[in-house]
Amino acid sequence: MELLIDLFGYLSIVVHGLTILAQSMALGGVLFLVLLARPLAERLGLPGAEIAGRCARIAAWSAIALMVSEAVTVALQTAVLVSSVDIGVGNALGANFAVAGLLKAGIAALLAVMLFVRGSSAPTVPLLLAVMLELMAATLTTHAAARLDGRGPLLAAAWLHQAGAAIWIGGIPCFLMAMAHLKDGVSWRAVGARFSRMSMAGVACILLSGITMSVLYIGDIPGFYGTAYGVMVGAKIAMFLMLLGLGGMNFLLVERLRADPSRPVTRLRRFAEVELGIGAAIFFAAASLTSVPPAVDLTRDRVTMAEIIERNTPSWPRFASPDHDQLALPALQAKLDAEAAQQKAAAQVAFIPGAGDLPPRNANDIAWSEYNHHWAGLFVALVGVLALMNRAGVRWARHWPLVFLGLATFLFIRSDPETWPLGDIGFFESFRDVEVAQHRAYVVLIVVFAWFEWRVRAGGWTNRGAPYVFPLLCAGGGVLLLTHSHAIANIKDQLLIELTHTPLALAGIVAGWARWLELRLDVKANATAMRIAGWVWPAAILFCGLLLLTYREA
Amino acid sequence: MPICSVLSRRAATAAVLLALLSPRAASAHAILEDSEPAQGGTVRAGTVALRFRYNSRIDVGRSRLTVTRPDRTQTTLAIASGVSPDIVVAILDLTPGAYTVRWQVLAIDGHITRGDVRFTVTEP
Repeated sequence: MELLIDLFGYLSIVVHGLTILAQSMALGGVLFLVLLARPLAERLGLPGAEIAGRCARIAAWSAIALMVSEAVTVALQTAVLVSSVDIGVGNALGANFAVAGLLKAGIAALLAVMLFVRGSSAPTVPLLLAVMLELMAATLTTHAAARLDGRGPLLAAAWLHQAGAAIWIGGIPCFLMAMAHLKDGVSWRAVGARFSRMSMAGVACILLSGITMSVLYIGDIPGFYGTAYGVMVGAKIAMFLMLLGLGGMNFLLVERLRADPSRPVTRLRRFAEVELGIGAAIFFAAASLTSVPPAVDLTRDRVTMAEIIERNTPSWPRFASPDHDQLALPALQAKLDAEAAQQKAAAQVAFIPGAGDLPPRNANDIAWSEYNHHWAGLFVALVGVLALMNRAGVRWARHWPLVFLGLATFLFIRSDPETWPLGDIGFFESFRDVEVAQHRAYVVLIVVFAWFEWRVRAGGWTNRGAPYVFPLLCAGGGVLLLTHSHAIANIKDQLLIELTHTPLALAGIVAGWARWLELRLDVKANATAMRIAGWVWPAAILFCGLLLLTYREA
Repeated sequence: MPICSVLSRRAATAAVLLALLSPRAASAHAILEDSEPAQGGTVRAGTVALRFRYNSRIDVGRSRLTVTRPDRTQTTLAIASGVSPDIVVAILDLTPGAYTVRWQVLAIDGHITRGDVRFTVTEP
């Protein structure tokens, strides 16, 4: 068990991301019920009561998910304290984080009970009070609670930030449910217009709090591009702008419904689906952000603009690989084996995956990694070009998903040279290393979505769910890449790699959701949007390929 | 040397759980800003106040300092309370040799981080 340190560490980010998602959906569901579903129920006629009831159930189940994830978090943290600091469980549960966590779980349980027992008629004041208190408890486990300076404004900003996310992103599942239950333009306009106003309030909360936190946590421009915290905030801002674009277009569509209630709302619903997907990606980026120190605290080891430019200046891709034996780990193992043979003793193992230590690296390891990225770039760029050709009408190019199978095979063999089949570390043993586990997960993702997409395009597969596998896994892969960690001791090098992987992750998210739109939009009512989406996703894949081709680690 | 090879089973379990909560140990957010003695520094033998200053408010009562002496024996140190929300202090009698203090702190926001400070004690 003790060899799983790194893997467990990575999984904690995933648990945290799920907690943020559950919190936003629970609180967003309550706010949607109180501010939209109930006030409009009468005007919406028969579906109004059904919408309010379903909204209460969405919020209640999300509250249950929040309670469970929060309880798991407190239990784990308490277990750590009890076993590592030699204090009793009672003492550990008196810590600030435990009190806040238990409060969060307790309020979530209360919300669930109110919503399950009373349904859509749950009392407004206790519901809103619970939302306020839940957000207050949530701020006590943010960076703000531990700050030495500017604690008050930062706590207020953290509260506002989470409230804004709940109103806007957290309300989308209820909005989608409501739109699916309504059948006429007047009702669509009523719900759409009110949710647009709620979303604008949410955006205002996020903007105000986001600017405050950026100023106080990042401080200056070098902190923005020179630290992991700043880079992750940059990724969040980029995704926030995507959401604003989609939300803005939905707002305009709702306004057009005023003049023409018969206008179809398919685009409104599809854009909202994408908003929810990108919103979830932002939550995972936020979860990843909590594990790094604010930029203002990291004044040493920052990356300079000159270093970023130097690293990202394109050079000819590396298509020749160093020998496996020249890599640092095989070389070290060979040395240890030779020493052991001399002393007639058992050889020491050069590296134990997942034990918390970083593997040694030399110039050949860097060359090996660059070679891998550049060949992967060739595969991905080829996919992008073929998909664009297919979009332009070249029929045989529809077999582009098969190129991904070549990429998966290449990555499986080459991505982690210390492991099977090239290295000494066994296949199953290698999963203890979080970076290896992530690479293997990518290989599985690539094989699955390539297979599904090829069957859909070339085999005429009629399974209704099959076409969605590619966009969902593509967007999911982007999120995985956002939280992907590189095991490199040098913090500067780690950040320089992160700087190139973040645009890749964002392009993956764009590609996935653009393909989703191409599939989900109405071919008659949304022809233009559908055509644009159809060109955007292959272009985003080509962009990923070109980025990989220019990737450098030194 | 892998950390876990020198820890007891209980401590190893704690290490696993700890990793679960502080995903990127190298960049976890409670940073040690400075210490007395400093990392790699020297100090004269005698009674010395070890002082560690962080970038965050620390829950001193739920944090721990463990010293490894030149003879490899380990002792958990009593942490003085009420100094400052970001400072952890412990008093220790030092004799010449190489020392390592492993610190583990609980930040008020619930993040647990840890690290080592190595220093050398010279003759008084």
